[in-house]
Amino acid sequence: MLNDIFNILLPQMALGGFIILQLVLSMVLSPRYFRYARLISATGLVLSIVLLSTVQTEPQYFAFKNSIMSDSYTLLFDFIILVCGFFTALLSRNLIKSVKRNAYTFHAILLSAIFGAMNIVSANDFITLFVSIELLSFSTYFLIASSKGYASKEASFKYLLTSAIATGVFLFGVSYLYGITGSLNLSEIYEITATQETSVMYSVSAVLISLGLAAKLAVFPFANWIIDVYKGTETSVLAFLSTIPKLAMFGILCRLLVFPLGSSFELTFVLVILSLITALWANTYAIREKNVKVIFACSASANASYVLLTASLVSVYNLSTVIFYLICYVLMNISVFAFLNIYGDQNPMNINSFQGLFHKNHTLVGAYAFSVIALAGIPITSGFVAKIYLFTAIVNSGLIFVPFLLALLILTVVALYYYLKVLLPLFGEYDKNTEVKLLTPVFSQKFVLILTALATLILGLYPERLIELCRFIAYNI
Amino acid sequence: MFLSIPFLIFLPLVISLLVMSPLFTRNEIVIRRFVKGVCVFHFLYAILMLACFDPANPYVSEIHFFGLDWIQSLGVKFVFKIDAVSMILTVLTSFVFLLASIASKLNIRKNHKFYYSMLLLLMSAILGIFTSGDMFLFFLFWELEMIPAYFLIAFGDNENAKASAVKFVLFTFLGSMVMLLGILLLHYYNYTSNGILSASFTDIIDSSIPAGIQNLIAVCLIVGFAVKLPIVPLHTWLPDAHTNAPTPVSMILAGILLKTGAYGIFRFNYQTMPDSFTTIAPVLAIFALINIIYTAFIAYAQTDIKRIVAYSSISNMGLILLGLCAFNKLALCASVFHMVAHALVTCGLFMIAGIVYLRCRTRDINSIGGIASVMPRLFGFGVLIVLASIGIPMFAPFVSEILTMLGALNSELSETIKFAAIFALPLLIISSSYMLKFLHSSFYGELKPEFEKVNDISVHEFLILAAVSAGLIIFGIFPDALLSLAGGM
Repeated sequence: MLNDIFNILLPQMALGGFIILQLVLSMVLSPRYFRYARLISATGLVLSIVLLSTVQTEPQYFAFKNSIMSDSYTLLFDFIILVCGFFTALLSRNLIKSVKRNAYTFHAILLSAIFGAMNIVSANDFITLFVSIELLSFSTYFLIASSKGYASKEASFKYLLTSAIATGVFLFGVSYLYGITGSLNLSEIYEITATQETSVMYSVSAVLISLGLAAKLAVFPFANWIIDVYKGTETSVLAFLSTIPKLAMFGILCRLLVFPLGSSFELTFVLVILSLITALWANTYAIREKNVKVIFACSASANASYVLLTASLVSVYNLSTVIFYLICYVLMNISVFAFLNIYGDQNPMNINSFQGLFHKNHTLVGAYAFSVIALAGIPITSGFVAKIYLFTAIVNSGLIFVPFLLALLILTVVALYYYLKVLLPLFGEYDKNTEVKLLTPVFSQKFVLILTALATLILGLYPERLIELCRFIAYNI
Repeated sequence: MFLSIPFLIFLPLVISLLVMSPLFTRNEIVIRRFVKGVCVFHFLYAILMLACFDPANPYVSEIHFFGLDWIQSLGVKFVFKIDAVSMILTVLTSFVFLLASIASKLNIRKNHKFYYSMLLLLMSAILGIFTSGDMFLFFLFWELEMIPAYFLIAFGDNENAKASAVKFVLFTFLGSMVMLLGILLLHYYNYTSNGILSASFTDIIDSSIPAGIQNLIAVCLIVGFAVKLPIVPLHTWLPDAHTNAPTPVSMILAGILLKTGAYGIFRFNYQTMPDSFTTIAPVLAIFALINIIYTAFIAYAQTDIKRIVAYSSISNMGLILLGLCAFNKLALCASVFHMVAHALVTCGLFMIAGIVYLRCRTRDINSIGGIASVMPRLFGFGVLIVLASIGIPMFAPFVSEILTMLGALNSELSETIKFAAIFALPLLIISSSYMLKFLHSSFYGELKPEFEKVNDISVHEFLILAAVSAGLIIFGIFPDALLSLAGGM
């Protein structure tokens, strides 16, 4: 057992140590020292990233009686999750300044959410998976609720309700699967389903499990929460919410689709239809919307639906495009929320409040505009390459999916319209009597914004190495 | 070799970033003269490349990123290729941007840094479209061109400028998304049928792709180009964008941007997928005919000078499309020639519209009138360019219109194309009627008292109009220089 820990679990253990450290500090330190919380979290995350190098991946390593596994796929997802967590921790400055007393608790919860997300991806057993999902979800409720004001509590409660229903659906599916196969272990279920004839109940359970997981991605039957939750959540928590749960859920969903659940035609059919409905809903909802956070909520839902559609047409090539898209997408998203964090949550989030900001600060607003352009999928950004690469996967899946692809492409035009709505006021005339009061950005905020925008540019010009890596990982899963 | 394609394409991009950077001066005069200098240099460089050009050995250049292709896993390369058509259009682009940068002096009054930076970025993107040798690279520049074009159109002082810019972007993006579907399908089926994982134009063998798929791909691509060209049901963005944009931007839009659509049809459908193009060419010819006649009638009904010119542009683009549909060498050369001739004419006409608007603050031909007596030099150029545009002999459009008709009548594809050519002939009459109406009601007649004090054209404007007129006359008298180059492919 100790062997298992040393072979694959050192990053998680380091993170666990820092969670305990933060909790102890939250009891002993006075609120005056709130600003060190960020530093400690960042140190823990960096240490965890460094310790990823000790993880054994070749060949696949199973630990704790097959309940946790590790291979290059989980390693990559752990790495991205930790990097996103690092950026989120850096961005949390405004939040912990406003709730000084809870600064250390906030960071302890943030780290435990990241811990949960890492475990979701490496779970090889439905019990482990369920516990990890709950760890992530409960931490997320507290993170959303941790900022001041009524709106965040409302957002947290809505998220809790949706997650609770989704968890129920997920467990229901798992119970069916257990009834059919008599096992909760993913490897064993895969062996059983690969050799035996599957029944309708198998497809039903696959659909229910996928729906339960996809709820966190805001896919159709569970899509509405995203509007209210994003509206009420602080921007640094949004940087977390729009990346880490998404990475974790896609991480496990893609693995489930490729291995135990992939052979079901009904599942593919349902997921394709649901992702199309989500894309349609999210993109049309944003047309009339004026709140920037809500527009990015719709964009998050729409992007998740593109990825889900591609992932549900199971093949290893599609998996490589999905991984590449996710990496590019989280970088753009963090960049966007880093700018909104600099802009400040105390300011109105109406698109017209951003009027003329480009003339106040070329570099920061330019980086933000660049990231929004990347989300719209316009060239020399990684968003362009990622979209093209993702869409090649749909074309490769067969001529029958071309109408779906056409629908997605036309919805991308709608998406461009609302991204332009966000983008254009930035370049207008600056109004001197505006009620918007900008705070001076600190180094860490600027660092995250510029770094992610630069990464978006570099991946747009030089994507080949990362694509090769994604292909290597997808073909070795 | 000292002539480098990447230098030609990326020079404006680098200068654009330089102008945009906070380190560069904010002084308007310095920026303007600097950008003009760059444009002159670029034009001379393009001319030098044209002079050294040998149609048998097109310029080819490939860029590697640390030893890798751009997206090697998809076979997408950063490769540029300049053949005869690309060479002609590259020089034309350089020339029109030079004129536009000169014309910017009087028309742009704010945010000079941003404006000139976007102008150069647009130049880079359009040059990229004309020279890229790879489908995805073509698509990259095609999308990239949208952003600067948006900002440039939105620079207009009209309150509708922003709305028409958004309309332009959404139309273009819709077209380009359908086009992307075509490109993805072509890339995939070329790979499955021929086993070549590549997106270069030269690596595509269309004959082995199933015919149904070929036609699907061709239609997807045509829809993308039809928005830019524009072909009639998709043309509604154009009059708004051209009318509300500042004058230099209108010159670029009509002079160069529309040609990217025609170039796309030539490069993708005509050259890369000839089998499916011969199937759909008769249908396309009908659309071309509708373009030519329908928009010419609309142009006659307009009273705004810029709208007249905008609709006449659509009409002329129909003629270029008809030339491509005829699918023979004569008509192709005539089409390329007409791209050049029409770019010159339309630059001149938009310049005249801009000059009149600057002086009189209106472009309505009914409320101006008799300005020939106060602006004799403008009147002279106006008569010359209008006569050229309606196809009077000795001017370039005459040659190209006649050759296009001849080429279409000689088409061996289908009787439909011949009929389209015959029915397109009234264009010459309708275009003369709206152009002469414009000339007549704005320059002749009673001079209104409020226009008695207006000045004649300045040195900058004289330079632009003289350059355009010289081009029209030279190519009208010696069309063979251009035709032989275009035919040398």
